[in-house]
This record gives sequence, C-alpha cells and structure tokens, in this order.
Amino acid sequence: MPAQDCQHHSDNALNVTDLHWHAGERTILKGVNLQLAAGKMLGIIGPNGAGKSSLLRCLYRYLTPSQGQICLFGKDISHYPLKAFAREVAVVLQDTPQHFDMTTEQLVMLGLTPHKSALSLTSQADHFAVAQALEKVGLSHLAKQAYEYLSGGEKQRALIARAIVQQPKLLILDEPTNHLDIRYQIQILELLHSLGITVVISIHDLNLASAMCDQLLLLNQGQGIAQGMPSQVLTEQLIGDVFEVCCAVAPHPQHQRPQITYYYGYQASETHAGGNDAS
Amino acid sequence: MQVKRTLPKQLYFGLMVMAIMLASTLTPMLAASFGAADISFSQVYQMILAQLRGDTGHFGVTERIVMELRMPRIVLAFAAGAGLAVAGAVLQTVTRNPLADPYLFGISSGASLGAVVVITLQGQSELAAQLSWLSLPLGAFIGAVLSVLLVMAFCGGRLSIQVERMLLSGVAISFMFGAMTSLLLYFSGPQAAASVLFWSLGSFAKATWADVGLPVLTVVGATLIILLFKRQVMAMKAGDETAHTLGIAVGRLRVGMLLLCSLITAVLVANCGGIGFVGLMVPHIVRMLMPGRFALLTIALVGGLFMIWVDVIARSLLSYQELPIGIITAVIGSGFFLFILASKR
Repeated sequence: MPAQDCQHHSDNALNVTDLHWHAGERTILKGVNLQLAAGKMLGIIGPNGAGKSSLLRCLYRYLTPSQGQICLFGKDISHYPLKAFAREVAVVLQDTPQHFDMTTEQLVMLGLTPHKSALSLTSQADHFAVAQALEKVGLSHLAKQAYEYLSGGEKQRALIARAIVQQPKLLILDEPTNHLDIRYQIQILELLHSLGITVVISIHDLNLASAMCDQLLLLNQGQGIAQGMPSQVLTEQLIGDVFEVCCAVAPHPQHQRPQITYYYGYQASETHAGGNDAS
Repeated sequence: MQVKRTLPKQLYFGLMVMAIMLASTLTPMLAASFGAADISFSQVYQMILAQLRGDTGHFGVTERIVMELRMPRIVLAFAAGAGLAVAGAVLQTVTRNPLADPYLFGISSGASLGAVVVITLQGQSELAAQLSWLSLPLGAFIGAVLSVLLVMAFCGGRLSIQVERMLLSGVAISFMFGAMTSLLLYFSGPQAAASVLFWSLGSFAKATWADVGLPVLTVVGATLIILLFKRQVMAMKAGDETAHTLGIAVGRLRVGMLLLCSLITAVLVANCGGIGFVGLMVPHIVRMLMPGRFALLTIALVGGLFMIWVDVIARSLLSYQELPIGIITAVIGSGFFLFILASKR
C-alpha cells in the first residue's frame, strides 16, 4: 500500500495507516489503523501479546515499521530528526534500570535534553520549569530525594514530570498504572487528563480505561479489532471474543460509561461460540 | 525536616569541593618534595614562586631535579589518573555497567600485545632497536586501536549496538590478546620478559617535558568533548529506550564515547604502561562521596591527585628502587574502596 500524504490527516494529532511490524519471522502488528484528535486520551487495550507495546514503540520510533505510515500533526514521523521528534513526543516507560543514582529533580531535569544544545547551560528558566513540573505532579517536597527510594506512585509521577518538562504535543505511556494501588491509578490518569495534551496509553484495567479514556483501541493478535468511544469498544461480545472471559456490561452509575462485571468459573466458549485460539 | 536534612548535605558538598581544591593546589608542590634527593617543601614553594615570576636558575641542581625530573612526572601522573578516571566514569555510565572500565574492552591487553611484539622484535632486528624510543608507545597504541576495532567489528558494525554484546566481545578479545601476549613472553628471553613485566605494571619514571604533551593534550581534549555531551551521557543512565525518547542517538553516542575513552587509554598505556584499577574505582569513590551527580571534573581531579600520590609512594617507599605504579594503585585503591564501602553500610 503506497504511503499517503500526511497532509490529508493534518486535522488529527495522530494518524496511523496500515501499520505492520515483524520481529524476525513473526508478524507482530498486522495492519493497525488509528486516528486520534488533538487533546484526547487514547487507551490501547488488549490481551498480553496483542502488540500493545510494539505499537507504542512504533509510535515513538523505537521500532521502525516494516509497512505503513504514522503521521503526527500532519507530518510523517520518520521525517523528523531524532531530537526534533523528542520535542514533540515524550514517553514514559515502565521501569528504570537498576543503580539509578539520581535525585528526583535530576531525573526531571533529563526532560530538558532535547531542548538543549551541547554548549548551553541549565538556565534559571530551566530550573523554574523543573520546579513547576514537580509541583504539578505534587512532588516538590521530594525534589532532593533519591529517585530510587520513591514509592511506585511517586516514581510514576516523577517520570510524568520529566515528560512535562519535555513540553511535548503527544505523551505516550506504557502501562502507567501498572503496580499501582487504585488511588494512584486514578490519580495518575486524572493528572494526565489535566495536562490538556494528546495522550496515548496502554492499559490493562478495562474499567479504568472505560472511565478515563476518550477513545479506546482494542488490539488482538496484532490487529486493531475496534476503535472508538468506550461504549463502542467495550461490548460483551468483543470482550468475550478477545479476552475469552465471560462478562456483563452495564453503564456506570456516575458517568454512564461501560462498567464491566466478570463472571467466574465460565469459559468464554460456553457463552460465545467464536472465541479466538489461545496464544 | 526537609530543610534540616538538605542543609548539611549542601554544606557537606561545599566542604568536599573545598577539600579537593586545597588538595589540588598543595599536591604538586608537596609531591615534588618527595624523592631520592632531599628537597624540602619550602624550597619547592620558593622555587615555584620564582618560576612564576620568570626568575629561574637560582637553585642550581635542586631546581633541575624539581623542574626537569619531578615536575614532568607529576604532570604525567596527573594526566594519567585524570584520564583513566574520566574514561572509567564515562564507560560505566554509557554501558550502565558498574564494572566497566577501559580495560574491560580489551584496550589494555591490545596495548600490551603491541608492546610485547615491539620488545620481542627489538631483540631480533637492528632497525627496530634503533627506533625503540618510538616503537614501544607506537606498538602499544596500534595494539589498543586494533582491539577496539575488533570489538566494533564483532558488534556487527551496526550503530544500534546492544551493550551486552559490546561488553562480551570486549572480554573475549581481552582474553585472546592476553593469551597471545603470554605465548610471546613464554618464548622470549628473560630480559624481554622482565622489561615487559615492569612496563605492564606501569611507571612514570621516563617522563620528560618532551613526551608529556601528547598525553596531556589527549586527556584535556577528550574530556572537553565528553563535557559537551554531558547531558546525553547522563540521560543514558535512564536506559537505552528512554534515552532514545529524549532524542539521543543511543548507539552512536555509545560508540563515540567508547572511541574517545579508547583514545585516552591507548595514549596513556603507550606512555606509562598498564595502570589498572583507577578507571574502575575512582568514579565509584567520587559517586559514593557525592551521590547522584555526573561530576566529571571532580572525578578527573580526584583521579589525577590520587595518581600523583601513588607515584610519590612508588618512588619513596623503598630507598633503593622504584615500585611499579599498578601494584600500588591496586593496593591503596581497593583498601580505600573497601573502607568506604564498610563505612557507608
């Protein structure tokens, strides 16, 4: 399929067309499409091995797609120089390496990297931006603490502060709510909403995704099964087919978005005939 | 509570910087007063003041000993210590391996092989013997460069090199060159073996103003270039993938830093022989004293000062002969390191 001109999609923040990616012989992504308007939050959901992380990695250019096109604000992302791309897109990954001997403030300071040339020093304005980002995520009091000794939720917020300092137009997060208790899960997602920029996250908790995301993309075995509002994607039929569980979907009493209740002791095949093969 | 906790920390940091500054000014003069000839600190002090005024020649032989024998040695020792410490700190950061130092990448074994080849050839060829002043450092340099090129070749020539692959090929090449060196030594005469042994343990004894220039320029130049990339090197701590998302060409930066560190090490090994341990331990010691920073200049200063004192011990511990540097760096360095490790627990 010939690459289309990104100009056609310039009204969208993000536009992915027919994305394929191979890991050696295996095809991980098989023709994924997605569209996302500016300022919206997209949740990528799907079972383990569905290709969520691979899709995100293509979006932040850590992987090069074998086919297809990714447009960011009307420009093909492969046309950006690496540093310029880092000024548009910030990424929060799941874990940092061991022996990470920085303070919270120093970690947040790393967000300045794509904005600085080799000879430029850290200015008063930079320090101010770092302090502001720390305040936004509520970590000002831990600025001088070793990052290693922060709690899981604090670490995640510190990483988001680093991304804020990067001043991106698009923020990508790989399972930002992993390993967090429910209070932090909600806190992190509300924080992301409050930033007012375009956000793409991968997320496992379907109820949380339903409550917090504007759009959902359901992936299964490298293919986009459905994209749309939570009420369009989270149906009993689709959840049963893709996750092979039995569930009931009803509107949430507060926000009317889909709320999923799972049934235990049932195989999905007992309720839905068309279940996918286990992979 | 936070204020209480951070204030002493800054005070501690300030004191540490002042201590290093004081040590940097006093060390060269103190170090110059040690040695076979009995020269006092105040004599050296007077002499340096006179030199600074452009007023030379008042102190006779003493002045010649200090200015022509001891000072080049001190400068070379400082350059060697600073360079090796910087190289170690950079490699530990960009490979995220606390055990990384220039020697892990086969640089020193390559240099040793080069030197041994030269020494072995000297026993057999007239021409090589005449060029010996040039060919030992040159041989060491060629060997070091060869080992780095081999490491790069085994990484597949791609720039998106995995760090594990780089470290493993470095270790393998190090062992391979080590075996070749041993083989050559095994078949060479006792004279050659002894001179290789002394050289491979490191020495500043042959330092003159004429040959201090290249190591100093290399260390200063490479350190300045590394400082330009300080932000990027620092960001590598967060992992390759995160560094990539911060706009850093991870593979290219790592290879560039490896080449710079190799250059420093090759020039230093060629001039002063193999001096282990400094590159590995000085960055750790500075990190323990000042956690969380990539204090490259402090690391360079501490490494340089440490090496000057090691050299002082090397030439004054035994009255009848000099000790090889490498032995002393290992003994003092490991002792000090274990002491800090124990006291930090």
